Amino acid sequence: MKKEKILIADDSEMNRSLLSDMLSEQYDIVEAEDGVEAVSILRSSCSELSLLLLDIMMPNMDGFGVLEAMNQNGWIQDLPVIIISSESGSAERAFSLGVTDFIARPFDPEIVRRRVVNTMLLYAKQKRLISIVEDQVYEKERQSDLMIDILSHVMEFRNGESGLHILHVRNLTDLLLSCLVRKTDRYKLTMSDISLISTASALHDIGKMGIDEKILNKPGKLTDEEFAIMKTHSAIGANMISDLPVHQQEQLVKTAYEICRWHHERYDGRGYPDGLKGDEIPISAQVVSLADVYDALTSERVYKPPFSHEEAVEMIVGGKCGAFNPLLLECLTENIERFRSALAEDPLEEAKRSKIRSISEETLKNEGGGVSKRTLKLLDRERVKNSFYATMTESIQFEYGVNPPMMNFSVWGAKKLGVDEIIMDPLNNEKLLGIFGSGTREMLSDGVRSTSPDNPELKLDLPLKIEGEPRWCRIVIRSLWSDDAEPQFEGAMGIVQDIHDAHQKMQELEKKAARDQLTGLLNRESARQQIELKMLDHSDGNFALAIIDIDDFKKANDVYGHMFGDEVLKFVAAKLRDSIRQTDISGRYGGEEFLMFLEYKTDIEKTVDRIRRSICGTYEHYNVSVTVGVALSCELGRDYEKLLHAADEALYYGKRNGKAQYCFYNDSMKDILTDET
Amino acid sequence: MTLEQCYGAMGADYGDVFGRLRSERLIQKFVLKFLDDKSYELLCSSLESGNNEDAFRAAHTIKGMCQNLGFTVLARSSSALTEALRNGPTPEAGQLFEQVKADYALTVSSIEAYKAGLEA
Repeated sequence: MKKEKILIADDSEMNRSLLSDMLSEQYDIVEAEDGVEAVSILRSSCSELSLLLLDIMMPNMDGFGVLEAMNQNGWIQDLPVIIISSESGSAERAFSLGVTDFIARPFDPEIVRRRVVNTMLLYAKQKRLISIVEDQVYEKERQSDLMIDILSHVMEFRNGESGLHILHVRNLTDLLLSCLVRKTDRYKLTMSDISLISTASALHDIGKMGIDEKILNKPGKLTDEEFAIMKTHSAIGANMISDLPVHQQEQLVKTAYEICRWHHERYDGRGYPDGLKGDEIPISAQVVSLADVYDALTSERVYKPPFSHEEAVEMIVGGKCGAFNPLLLECLTENIERFRSALAEDPLEEAKRSKIRSISEETLKNEGGGVSKRTLKLLDRERVKNSFYATMTESIQFEYGVNPPMMNFSVWGAKKLGVDEIIMDPLNNEKLLGIFGSGTREMLSDGVRSTSPDNPELKLDLPLKIEGEPRWCRIVIRSLWSDDAEPQFEGAMGIVQDIHDAHQKMQELEKKAARDQLTGLLNRESARQQIELKMLDHSDGNFALAIIDIDDFKKANDVYGHMFGDEVLKFVAAKLRDSIRQTDISGRYGGEEFLMFLEYKTDIEKTVDRIRRSICGTYEHYNVSVTVGVALSCELGRDYEKLLHAADEALYYGKRNGKAQYCFYNDSMKDILTDET
Repeated sequence: MTLEQCYGAMGADYGDVFGRLRSERLIQKFVLKFLDDKSYELLCSSLESGNNEDAFRAAHTIKGMCQNLGFTVLARSSSALTEALRNGPTPEAGQLFEQVKADYALTVSSIEAYKAGLEA
């Protein structure tokens, strides 16, 4: 038989081995050096463990931290914990966090062994009992649901309502209550209370049995007298229930009484039969009342067409159909989509589906092994498979959990990145931030926030620092969500692929496409992109944008031919490239015009003068001279279009005033281009 | 030197630990293991650097080990030091640490002597 597994979490190696020595004959032992490691082991293999022996005083995360994580993740329900500590003062807190037993130091090995055995036996027995009880409760609920369904159908038949009203009210009641418990704990409702109220809601109109059919199904408006009779149905229903000869102590019966009697009360106290006000009306009746009105509005009746969801909500919130608890109205308006879909779903279809579900459960049950054991085995195999692939594929894989914030890397991945396999609070981990770069954190969290349970995947290409070198990586992330009606973000898993080589190739290609064929300088479009990028990048700094134009270039073309003209362009481009720093930007704007973009600290005029001079010269006896128009970001702002236009105007001014010079834009040149043309 | 004599040398009660662990082999193993434990070094260094939290934890670990092994004398002084550090450093911690130092030295020298006898 396979040995059961015990996790020992204690920071002292000696204490661990003392316990391990005592227990290793009968059990498999797993050890954790501190709370962080313990939680990591629990996260990956809680279901394989049968017991946790936990020390309180530990570095990084203490025993209470472990217990809190176990509570948050629900592990405490499945795994018994025995605390071993000399801190007897903390026993009470430990018990309140759900531990099963507390053993004080110095301990007697025989006692430890006995308590371990007892705890594990008790838990196994308890688990078996729970599953038996669950099955029986399920069976019982199913049968009573069935009876209520039959009863309500009979009632609807008599009331002439659509066959779905009671099902609708039940769905809506359930939905409203689930929203309500999220909002407030004022009503102390448990999950079983909610299911009880929803079930009992089916009986809300049972009193209509006692109303004359002629009044009940009258197509037109009721007379005052008829309406007074109609109104008695709530009291009649309540009496029917309180007259039941048996079951008066049953919670379901009590709840049904509340609902029958008071589902026509109003929050402002102007309802019937008792004129109860506010929370004097039991919450069960308040909720059913709202569900009843909502469904009546959105359904077709002999005397009215159906209203749309929006119209119905507007009428209810506007106080046209009674007065309700404001909290419930919030539940209604804040969950519009869910209410719409609750009714859009065909309840008969839903019923069919749940029937199939229970049949399949039965089949599984009859197979002998029981569901849980089979599932656990499958899970186990999945886990083995995962860790096998993770070690074989040499990829960086990771899992992230929100509660507590923690990251696990695959063995190979941790080694490759040079980080620990388990990292607590990873979003603030210096080492990780160093690898991912500080900006990446926001990018990642924004990205993850953009995912949803329906659309959980995210792909990001980023440069990561791996072994000290920046390398382009693709991170593929899948976010993980809870099963709640309103899913909560619980974490993510992902894989990091090295795409550096492919990325380099792409960049090479992009670079080629970004260059002017003749001169090898950036073309106009990519020069613009780079300039704009640069202006975004640097928080402070002054920039100069210049347009450089070759004087009398047309003459060179005309006299010496186009081939020669091309050579002149190449000559100027080379000169330009050589006269600026690597961090500056040069490009070909078009024709014989070039772009230059400089960052400067002092005396930009001198710099521009120097560059202009160095570009001028003789190429094959031909005198090359240029005119330069310059615009400064400190005057015009970091706006590429604005700067370009101003530089162009300065250039024009220089050309008109004798060429072979540089010109800085000033306001007197404003609109010089448009005025001339 | 027998294990019992070793316990006697450090002023501890062999009868108590034997009553609990019931195996001389087991007791011997853990007594020798005590020499390898780094908690005492951690205690000294963290007291020196003023890291009270680590000092408390180290004192606590020493206390736990001593209780398990029945090192009554060192258990008593490390327990007192633990309490003096529990809620931040206190004036009496210095004096209590001196006591732990002395008891630790006695304990370790007793075990060393026992170990030397084994190897001889």
